[in-house]
Formats: sequence, C-alpha cells, structure tokens
Amino acid sequence: MAALMKGITIASLGAFGIFGVLFLLLPQQTKHQLQGVLFQLVSPILRTGASVQEGLGGVRGGLKRMDELERENQKLRFDNEQLRASNSLLKNLESEVNRLNRALGFREQSAFKLLPAHILSRESATWWNFCTIDRGSKNGIATDMAVVTEDGVFGKITTVAKDVAVVLLISDESLRVSVAIEGTQEQGIVSGTRASSNYVPDLKIRFLSKTANLKPGMKVLTAGSGGVFPSGLVVGTIKDFLVKELEGVASVTPAVDLASVQDVFVVVGQK
Amino acid sequence: MILFFLALLVLIFGSFVFQLFLPPVLLVHGAVILFVPAVYFYGCLCLPFSLTLALTFFTGMLNDLLTIPQLRSHSDFPAGISILIYLVPGLVMHGLKPLFLRHRWETHCLLAEIGAILTPFILLAQYAMLSFERREILLSDVIVWRIVGPGLISLLIAPCVFFILTPLSHALGYRPGLPLAR
Repeated sequence: MAALMKGITIASLGAFGIFGVLFLLLPQQTKHQLQGVLFQLVSPILRTGASVQEGLGGVRGGLKRMDELERENQKLRFDNEQLRASNSLLKNLESEVNRLNRALGFREQSAFKLLPAHILSRESATWWNFCTIDRGSKNGIATDMAVVTEDGVFGKITTVAKDVAVVLLISDESLRVSVAIEGTQEQGIVSGTRASSNYVPDLKIRFLSKTANLKPGMKVLTAGSGGVFPSGLVVGTIKDFLVKELEGVASVTPAVDLASVQDVFVVVGQK
Repeated sequence: MILFFLALLVLIFGSFVFQLFLPPVLLVHGAVILFVPAVYFYGCLCLPFSLTLALTFFTGMLNDLLTIPQLRSHSDFPAGISILIYLVPGLVMHGLKPLFLRHRWETHCLLAEIGAILTPFILLAQYAMLSFERREILLSDVIVWRIVGPGLISLLIAPCVFFILTPLSHALGYRPGLPLAR
C-alpha cells in the first residue's frame, strides 16, 4: 500500500512537472487564444452578472429615493408619494437620455467608425487594470483596436472572444501611448503606474525634454504614432511637471472617469 | 473525494468570476478581495498530494488566463507562472494537513488564518515577477497596501470559507482522515 502511494505521488509530481512546463512553454499566441476561449466560456456569466449588478443598483437607488421621500414628506398621502417617486424615476431616465444623447452626438461627429459597447465587468486585479465589454469578434472587433469615450482615450483591445472583448485601460502600466502636449512641440509616452487603479488613476508622461515648459491644465493628446490610437484624441490634462536627471516627467489626470464610465466606443476604422 | 475535488474546481472557477465583479476596497488603498486563495488553501489541506497538485495547476492556470491580460505578441507576466506561485504556499498548507485532520474547529480557524497570512505571498511573488520583467522596482505605501491588504481582508473571509467548505465536504461524503461516509 505504501509502495503504491509512493508510486502515485511520484507519478503525480512527474505529471504536474510535465504539464506545468508544457503550459509555460506554450507560444504566447496560443495563450492569447486560450484566454479568448475562456472569456467566451464565461461571457454568459459576465452578461448575467452585469445585468444583475445593474438591477441591484436600480433597486438600491429606488429604496434610497423612497427613504428620502418618506423623510421629506411624512404627512403626504400615499398616492402623492407614489407620484413623487415616479417623478424622480423620470428624472433618472432624463439623465440617462442626456448621457446617451451625448454619446450619440460624439459618435456622429467623430471622424472614425465607432462601435458602441457596454462595460460588463471591471476586473479588480491587483497589478493590472482592464475590463470586459459586450462586443466581440462577431461585431468586427479585433485586437489592438482603440477604445474611447466622448471624453477621451479609455484603452485598447487585448483579447477578443466571439461575444466579449478584454480592454486594457489607459491606467495600466503596460499600455504605453505616444502623446503630444497641446500648444507645444513636446512629445512623450504616457502610461499608468503600478500603483494606479481605475479608482485612483495615476498616469505619467515620460521622455519629455527637461526644458519643457508645461503648466497644469494643458491638454494631452494622442500623437498618432504607434498605429493603435489615431492622433488628436484627448488623454487628459497635465497635473504637474518634474525635471528628473535625464528627462522631464509629467503627471496626468485622465480625461475619462475610468471607475464610472458605462458605455465606450471601439474605433473600428475611419469614416 | 473526487466529487469534492470537482466541487472545489467549480468553486474556484466561480470565485474567479465572482471576483471580476468585486470593486477594490478603497479604504485599504485599492486592495482587492480574494476568495480564490481561501478555497484553494482549503483544498490543499484536505486533499491528497496528487489532487493538491492538480488543484494548483487548475488554480494557477485560471488565475493567469482570467485575471491577467495576455497580449498577442508579448506578456510581461507569461501565463503559467502563477502555477509555480500558487504551488509554494499550497505545499506549506498541505504540510499542515495533520493539524487539519484533527477536525477541531479551533485548528480549522487557525489554519484559515495561516492561509490568509500566506495570501500576500501570492501577490508579492506576482509583484516581484512583474518588477523583474519591467526592470523597475517601485515601492510605495500604495504598493505595500496592495500586497498586504488582501491578506488582511482574507483574515475575515478565510474562516467563513473554511466553515462553509467543511459541511460541503461532509455533504459530498468526503471526510479526510476518516472512513468514507456510507
């Protein structure tokens, strides 16, 4: 029995070693495809989870409104309360319509073909900032496509499944975008930092000249080199500028609110 | 045993997907809430060595494919590294199996807390790997909190996960160290 157990242990160690090394040595392209397959597998769960999350948010919001109404209108009759509640619901709808109108206007005015997408989940991985959107290869999405909002650059597509796609956010350290500072000849590379997150984004522009005269509030625009992001998209505004030993480094406040944006556009081509 | 092992695989997969919807805890400088390590450590404690290795492979692979963006050309954290990262604390926990087999709630609680203390090791190893690949070591209070924070959160989560998984294993007819329930 002991010999059998020893045999099983050695065999399992051997199998673990072989499979572990094989998986590690798989070409990056294959791992990328595997990730796509896995995200396709979980896409129904992501969609359901996203709708449940939105539903829960709605219920919470509704209860809060009722609470507020009860506090403010204790002496009013029940039908009056109902009218007020429906009025507040209509106000929510109005802001939703305004938001969608802004997005539609941006889409129509843009020089690019934009595909609207909805964010399904925002992954809270410790060292990476990415999210999943509800569009995939069946909608014409491919890797390395730029993702924007009406406010500016949001990220780029890294993995595509049939129904969903993964977007690497502008706040991630591994996404580097060449940028230019509006009104100057300065160009640099913007990227997130390792301590950056969707909630507390921390972007830095590196490789600026030491003599750059950058002031807080100056606009940072994509330079267009690199082939992913078209030129002229807003990345953010300069927060501060520091001169280091070899280069100038600027902190940037992103134009897009990465933590709360719900709808984005994938740049699928030019008009 | 196989039933419980399969249940653990499903739970780990479910925990990974569930984690996708959990926002980071801003009070702890954006530390994330991790359920997977607690479920994984429980598996390491109660499963035999061969299944512990299988669980490690599954957990590490899913971790890299579901929580790390794999770029088409190059990734600074190649998928598969987490199998090795999970293996180390997993083996530590597996070494504590004799304690687990005493089937006392206080030792289970203690082991859950040991698992929670080992959770930051996974994040620290990821950070070390990332720093090595990006050729830059950055240290700030935010980064320290991102490593330590999930461990602190796990101190609360892990005992609850352990106390849910124990009846589940019993319900599935698996009582490690004891004769199988008929």
